[in-house]
Amino acid sequence: MEPLFQASVDEVNRLVGLDKKELGILEDADAAAADLLVSEYEKYVERKFNPEALEVLKRRNLMGLPVSEKYGGRGGRQLVEALFLERMGQTGMGVITFADVHLCLGSLAVQDWGNDEQRARYLPRAAKGDVIFAYGLTEPEAGSDPASLKTSYVKDGSGFRLTGSKYLISNGSIATNLIAFARPAEGKGITAFIVDTKEKGFSVDMKLEEKIGLFTSDTSILSLDDVHVAKEDVLGEEGKGLSVAFSALLNGRIGIGSGCLGVMEDCLNQVKERTTSRVQHGKEVGKHQLIQRHVAFIESSLEACRWLDYRAAMRKDDYEKDPGNLALREDCDRLSAVAKYVSSRSAFESADRAVQCFGGFGYSIMSPVAKHFLDSRVARIYEGTDEIMELKIASSVLGRDFQAFR
Amino acid sequence: MEGSNAINAPGVKVYSLLTDPSFVAKTLPDSEDVRVIDGSTLEAKIKLRIAVVSSALKTRMTIVRESPPTRAKLVAEGSGSGSSMKITSVFELSGDSQTTMRWSADAEITGVMAGIGSALLKGFATKKVGEIFMGITKAVEDAV
Repeated sequence: MEPLFQASVDEVNRLVGLDKKELGILEDADAAAADLLVSEYEKYVERKFNPEALEVLKRRNLMGLPVSEKYGGRGGRQLVEALFLERMGQTGMGVITFADVHLCLGSLAVQDWGNDEQRARYLPRAAKGDVIFAYGLTEPEAGSDPASLKTSYVKDGSGFRLTGSKYLISNGSIATNLIAFARPAEGKGITAFIVDTKEKGFSVDMKLEEKIGLFTSDTSILSLDDVHVAKEDVLGEEGKGLSVAFSALLNGRIGIGSGCLGVMEDCLNQVKERTTSRVQHGKEVGKHQLIQRHVAFIESSLEACRWLDYRAAMRKDDYEKDPGNLALREDCDRLSAVAKYVSSRSAFESADRAVQCFGGFGYSIMSPVAKHFLDSRVARIYEGTDEIMELKIASSVLGRDFQAFR
Repeated sequence: MEGSNAINAPGVKVYSLLTDPSFVAKTLPDSEDVRVIDGSTLEAKIKLRIAVVSSALKTRMTIVRESPPTRAKLVAEGSGSGSSMKITSVFELSGDSQTTMRWSADAEITGVMAGIGSALLKGFATKKVGEIFMGITKAVEDAV
């Protein structure tokens, strides 16, 4: 099947070099994006969650893309995951949010921080789509400052009991397992847990449907009321949960940046089609110079951001080969922040300019570029706001003593 | 767009039904005010539905018997609610007591509906045309 979208497998291969197995993953990604195009649009217009995203990614064997082949995944490196998310981003940020949370914030956190027993217990099922992850860091009063979270735990004979509230959690009501962060009721340090959402005391307080976009993605407010977690489900060391959280967010930010590439790419394709077919003032809209300015912005943003996102992903792949190299880890952190910051802002502005190129129809809920406009706004907020990214980037240049959020 | 359907009826009978405007009138989905004009033409208001939004297009359909009893063409042209469409579908029949209907369709949509872009339109049209030919298949089998 011919790839549906502009960034063909061949072009990407020429740019970065991919082996046969990786090319196969990207062919599956193109097929999955094509499968999801209509349902994502329909559900967006209906303002409903799209359950098809899970079914299609399962059918195309993409639910375990970054999971090691040893655990039933496809062993895709970060670069391949970025290229996958770029493709899926063309269907919109709804699919990206679902996939990024399950793959980057969930599966990779277990793979990177779990012990062998945890990996063997969770990852094969996650790769099949039988386990779906959500990531529970944000709370009503702890957003950009996760160290102030209030969810607490106490030890009991067979493990731990967690109590608290988790806020604006993507995949929250559909997840089988929540990577939840909590602090001890007495004492210091934050710990990461793998919570079974079927445990007594776990509940979905509210599905947040009154959003300005991202309708096809599940966003929920979760409540944990004395929820039991076995001692075998502590992820990483007790008291070192923020390291798990920040490492997962590093992966997630590369993923969000990559999804934003897809948004820009679809905006460009839509604008090209619209402005070369619609005639105003006796010529195609695209022949008017002020429209060409918008086209030039979207195209140059896409090309610039590709380099940022691919580079951040490749640096993360370098770090995976040399995990003790802290300088490399800091550089990954910097590059992932830059990639997410620039790509999410560029995607939102590209969508805004695409709406402008479409004229009145661009403002309709039926317009595919309006979908990107509404959906991509969240990318400047979740997994690190613009402002937090700016602080991270600035302190990476000025030095630790200049960390403004300390 | 293209596809094929197996029909549990003889080819000659299938051809006869599919080129009969009165029969085609009964198989049109999401349509109202259907009128047979003459032996090869009919008119109807056809609802073009995309997600939750639908437009009623006043449509004229013409049947062209290109190569009886195996090949025919149906051209549907309509407009309304700021959109226009022209769908040209061709079917070819093979087999005797069991018939295989191979079909292909080209759709041109302009105006408001075209704003959603060709990739999405193709996705919706492929889904819809498949449903239409499935409906035709069932109607033919019920009529035989």
